[in-house]
Amino acid sequence: MKLTTLALSNIKRNFKKYAMYFFSLSFSVFTAYTFFALMQNKYVLMAFTYDDRYKALLKSFGIIIIVFVMFFLISSNNSFIKARKREISTYALFGMTNGRIGRLIFLETIIVGTIALIIGIGVGIFFSKLMAMILLDISLASFTGKIEFTIAPKAAYITTIIFMSIFCVMGLSGLRVINKFELVDLFKAHKVSEGRSKGSVIVLILSLILIGAGYYLASSSNVRIVVNAAIPVLFLVVTGTYLFFWGGLPKVLNLIKSKKSNYYRGVNLISVSAFYHRVKSIAMVMATIAVLSAVATTAIATGYTLYNNIENNTYEQLGYDMYFYGGQEELLGDVEAAFEAHGNEIIEEFTAQRYTCSPSADVLRIKNSSFNISKDDYFRVYSESIYNKLMSITRCDYKTVSIKSGEAIYVYPFMIDNIADAITGQALTFTDEALKVTATIRAGILSFGAIHTIVINDADFDILLNSGDITDTNEGGAPYDKVTVFKYQQPLSSPELNRELTQILSGNTGSFRTAYTLYDESLQTFGLVCFIGFFMGGVFILMTASLLYFKQIMAAEEERHQYRMLRKIGMDDYMEKRVIAKRLIPVFLIPLLVGIVHSIFAMKSADTLVFSNMIADENSYSTVLLCSAVMYGIYAIVYSIFYFITKGQYSRIVK
Amino acid sequence: MQILKAENISKVYGTKKSAKQYMALKSISFEVKEGEFIGVMGASGSGKTTLLNILGSIDKPTTGRFFMGDTDITTFNKKQLAKHRIDNIGFIFQDYNLLETMTLKENIILPLALSGYKPNAMEEKLMEITKNMGITKVLEKYPYEVSGGEQQRAAACRALITNPKIILADEPTGNLDSKSGKDLLELLSYINGEYKATILMVTHDVFAARYCKKIMFIRDGEIYNELYAGNNKKEFFDAIIDVMSILGGE
Repeated sequence: MKLTTLALSNIKRNFKKYAMYFFSLSFSVFTAYTFFALMQNKYVLMAFTYDDRYKALLKSFGIIIIVFVMFFLISSNNSFIKARKREISTYALFGMTNGRIGRLIFLETIIVGTIALIIGIGVGIFFSKLMAMILLDISLASFTGKIEFTIAPKAAYITTIIFMSIFCVMGLSGLRVINKFELVDLFKAHKVSEGRSKGSVIVLILSLILIGAGYYLASSSNVRIVVNAAIPVLFLVVTGTYLFFWGGLPKVLNLIKSKKSNYYRGVNLISVSAFYHRVKSIAMVMATIAVLSAVATTAIATGYTLYNNIENNTYEQLGYDMYFYGGQEELLGDVEAAFEAHGNEIIEEFTAQRYTCSPSADVLRIKNSSFNISKDDYFRVYSESIYNKLMSITRCDYKTVSIKSGEAIYVYPFMIDNIADAITGQALTFTDEALKVTATIRAGILSFGAIHTIVINDADFDILLNSGDITDTNEGGAPYDKVTVFKYQQPLSSPELNRELTQILSGNTGSFRTAYTLYDESLQTFGLVCFIGFFMGGVFILMTASLLYFKQIMAAEEERHQYRMLRKIGMDDYMEKRVIAKRLIPVFLIPLLVGIVHSIFAMKSADTLVFSNMIADENSYSTVLLCSAVMYGIYAIVYSIFYFITKGQYSRIVK
Repeated sequence: MQILKAENISKVYGTKKSAKQYMALKSISFEVKEGEFIGVMGASGSGKTTLLNILGSIDKPTTGRFFMGDTDITTFNKKQLAKHRIDNIGFIFQDYNLLETMTLKENIILPLALSGYKPNAMEEKLMEITKNMGITKVLEKYPYEVSGGEQQRAAACRALITNPKIILADEPTGNLDSKSGKDLLELLSYINGEYKATILMVTHDVFAARYCKKIMFIRDGEIYNELYAGNNKKEFFDAIIDVMSILGGE
């Protein structure tokens, strides 16, 4: 059939133009195959799918990816067809019917699609072991890296079915684009503006207000506000972003244009007017990309920050490599023997009494709610020297303290400024004595079952112990279990030792925890979240960037004659390079910047909700930003690579 | 005073070794004096557009030299050529070639903007050049919003605004109806008379050629004949038709 020959020769002839299209198709296929193959991988299955939460997480992630891939493929296909308008109109001119042209394009799509499918799945198979290893490596504490190479026929099958249907949808939507072409447009030489928009100050201000309001709510340090405002913030910022690109950006360009001394410089005149000319048609794409960039950067930054802080968070919760209550007499020997058997060494161990006391204190009012520190709850109490001893064994970074007689330091796991302010200066009244709270510490690693903890001077401690205010027995008179804490070598990478310790301690103590177990659990959850974040972020970055590429290549086809004319007037090569750069930079830079700024505020919310509880640092947000900045940097690098590819191709087209 | 001098200009298309060599211009020599309004005529494929492209330094001659004043343009590099085009040459194209992304005003000042004029100086020049062209009211409009005649006048303004040594017009009436065509030719005559602008116009339209003061006929890449307009327009017109019928034009 002639049509097939024509389709094949078209592909050969347009190979350069097709290259990028082909790349993004293959990448989409690769993404899908990788995902499905991971879902089939028996190691991944073993690691995650026994837990319904993980299963649901992976599934919804898969759906998001497929929907996005579909959106991306259809819109890039439409841009691609528009970029070939001249060629397609020529067919029409020679008497080809739209239906036939549609069939031709459809055929080309299927041919290129099939090749992309084969290559995408091939690359997917090639990298499937690597991807599974990456996932398992970042998700399992004790992953050894031993995993077999597997081919997942089911994944290949599902991928093929999904993509063949997507290609069909693409073909149909392409047909719609072709039907919209008017033959006469070919001869009118693109004289009519489709995309100029004056913009409006009101819309510009409104968009900034909306985004600003969203930012304001998102950056609140009150957890309840952040949680309740999540949906409104999303609404405000997304609406604001679209309004900004729709009505605000044209206005900004208009303002730039009105500053003649700058605007009338040759390069600016050409590039700003060209961008302004097209702003309406690309504004929505830019807005969508800005929003997607925000989602992607936030996902990546969250994942990366979580991942980076799992170790910190483990110790933030646990404090020590291991601790257990009670049964010391029988168990300590076994524990030490286990260490010896595994060639590990205990760096330090310490057994402490769990003393309590119940002083009376005033009920505090904090923001309309009462904070009652004495009524039912007892205090865990430590003398200064015991406290300092414990702090030397913990893996957390707490300073040692020295406390004057008559003073006390209040320790609370959920300390916030309000509580700290309210409680400082309060008196704790014992039978004969009263202590004054002079300082507070935020920590949860001392309480060992209690909610409130105080640390007092050694002498005060002895007096109160003698007076019976401090006791190590419960109401029934039975003594509390002692607690033993450990610090040992390679606590997070000794799975066998951990298994044996668990065996020894399990059922024989009041309670026990090891850092390894907690770390391993966190890694599984956060590692999966992190992997999904990376994966999704990577897909979003590459696809949004290539969408911009297609849009600009399409524009280049239409702007070609302008460059020819400009060269006749006397634009030299150097100037042309600058014009093209100035013409393209905003297209990539603005969505990237908007996305990153959005993400910075989203990370503030994430900090309030999650990280401030995870990261011991006073200023957890700066730690979060530091981690995020790494990811923003990578994002920016990928975008600039795409910018240079686009610039190269654009220059070639207008030459 | 001579503005432009061409010495033995030849243009060969196709590589030297290939059999498909085609000689578009064969050793053409001529001079253009200040204030002249020259028409270049010839049948399709005679080489007239090639000549215009070379004079406009858009294309390079294979051999031969041409001078602008005393400067040998053929020795210029790309950057110098670009500057030379901005400073010395004004172009008027068949399809106006205004940028649709810019208003008429921005289009007109574009050459000045490219050579780095100050905004105030641009405005001054703009006013000076547009006041007699009847387009001051539509300066802020975009090309597609105004008539073909207004677009062509804006294109003429753009060609004039740098005070070029020579204006090159490539089939300027090609796209216009007869009324607009006549308007444009009168405009060129007006520019020629009022601004003392030197104009070289390529055309195959006998009617358009009537407005020239001198016609150069080209056949197969060589100058075939030259005609000068005398006092009698009718005679000049008839003479042009005679030559063109021999050349096989219209």
